[in-house]
Amino acid sequence: MSGYNVRKLKEKLFLFLIGALTVLMFSPLFHIIYSVFNNGIHVILSRRITFITGRLSDGGIGPAIIGTFILVFLASLIGLPVAFLVGVYAYEYPESTLGKATKSLLQIMLEFPTILVGVFIMQMLVVPMGTYSALAGALSLAIIMMPYVAVYTHEAMRQIPFEYRDAAFSLGLTRVKAVFRVLVPMAKRGILTGVLIGIAKVAGETAPLLFTVGGSYQTYQIGITKPVGAIPLLIYTLIQSPAKEHHEMAWGASLILLLIFLGIFIPVRLSLREVKV
Amino acid sequence: MIELALETRDLKVYYGNNMVIKGVNLKVPKNVVFALMGPSGCGKSTMLRAFNRLLELNSEARVEGEVRILGRNIYAPNVDPIEVRREVGMVFQYPNPFPHLTIYDNVAIGLKLNGLVRSKEELDKRVEWALKKAALWDEVKDRLDDYPSNLSGGQRQRLVIARALAMKPKILLMDEPTANIDPVGTKKIEELLFELKKKYTIILVTHSPAQAARVSDYVAFLYLGELIELGPTRKVFENPEHELTEQYVTGVLG
Ligand SMILES: Nc1ncnc2c1ncn2[C@@H]1O[C@H](COP(=O)(O)OP(=O)(O)O)[C@@H](O)[C@H]1O
Ligand SMILES: [Mg+2]
Repeated sequence: MSGYNVRKLKEKLFLFLIGALTVLMFSPLFHIIYSVFNNGIHVILSRRITFITGRLSDGGIGPAIIGTFILVFLASLIGLPVAFLVGVYAYEYPESTLGKATKSLLQIMLEFPTILVGVFIMQMLVVPMGTYSALAGALSLAIIMMPYVAVYTHEAMRQIPFEYRDAAFSLGLTRVKAVFRVLVPMAKRGILTGVLIGIAKVAGETAPLLFTVGGSYQTYQIGITKPVGAIPLLIYTLIQSPAKEHHEMAWGASLILLLIFLGIFIPVRLSLREVKV
Repeated sequence: MIELALETRDLKVYYGNNMVIKGVNLKVPKNVVFALMGPSGCGKSTMLRAFNRLLELNSEARVEGEVRILGRNIYAPNVDPIEVRREVGMVFQYPNPFPHLTIYDNVAIGLKLNGLVRSKEELDKRVEWALKKAALWDEVKDRLDDYPSNLSGGQRQRLVIARALAMKPKILLMDEPTANIDPVGTKKIEELLFELKKKYTIILVTHSPAQAARVSDYVAFLYLGELIELGPTRKVFENPEHELTEQYVTGVLG
């Protein structure tokens, strides 16, 4: 064989190897989605609406679903405005000491072990209040959500070409008006993406809830100072039980969580594709 | 004595420690097209941005000396740059209408956000007036709610001109407004300049001596941050005083 052919063969082998590794890397993702659907669908179909609305004793995960929605809603209420403003600040004052610190701190916060956030909130809120609460869980989730939203906001603003910034200021707009009335609306799609990714991220978080929400699955709690449930936390609890019946419910709950996640994530991906066109 | 639209006194601009405008004195009479020409990188855009204090968006940039607009030094300590920018319109090298706003809103936004109109009718009128002034009205009057992405490059640039005119500026700064426009669009914008100078003073940056010769009444030649020559356009082109100017207008110099 000539040197040329050997080289070509090597190249093909190499490409094949990379392709195979890529498939290998993503295969768990597809396996997770497949097995969650496969195992979860039976439970949901056999119990129908009870699974969504019923209490744990009825064979449903209603309080956990409501709990997740309450937690995500409250976390968004607390976290989104702050994170948005922080992201805009980092964009608008990139050279200031605080601006530079903000950018580094956001990166650290993004990678921070989430269980430590739970421990922190437990000390700050749960212990003094003497009870687990939706508020404590929401605060933990807000802390985890904020860096995502802030980083995405910052990035979306930075994508705006400089010409538009020039244009806004050349019209004699104040900084506040130029930024919030012209540039932010221009970046709204990117910012919204960050918001949804932040929400999707915390909707599935377990660790920060372990020491904060308490987990309440037999009653529907009203009031943010009472313990609540959450789907990921419920899955964690059910899996630890030896009962097969509980494992089945965990699969069903996993499917619900997956659907919520995909329900947020797929629109985000689709809208991202739209931006490029 | 002719009344001056703009005058600079020993204007210097630095980026960090690098001086890019090196003590320029120039006078721009009212109601003329004043061309600022020179090779790429000589400091034309920088100087133009000193005329509406837009340079201040860049924290590296520092200005020394005076820029007087209708007699008032805009770098005096009590002058608000926001006020200056409302009185001095600017058009850029790359047509930059806001892509997320309709044609109408692009023209209206400066007026709206600065609270310069009292009613919707007044706003409608002013938008129409500005679009007519920019010679764009006939082309867009039936699609004011469209987005600027559907316009040609030349139309977009005229939209930006309308956006600036809507503010009723005293001076209009234009930084190579036809650099990214096709020949037909360029011709329209150049014709527009003749109309506009009846009411406005236009300072036009161009790297093309031919364009300066076509459209301007006065021309200044800037080279490496220094003002080499300034005078009535015909005089500068036909009988330049400086060797460098001659080389530039005949195309010997980049
Ligand atoms: N933001 C900036 N920071 C530092 N230097 C700059 C900046 N903008 C322009 N310059 C420098 O200033 C000089 C003049 O640039 P510019 O005003 O853009 O020239 P022109 O518009 O005539 O092409 C150039 O040497 C350029 O490299
Ligand atoms: Mg330039």
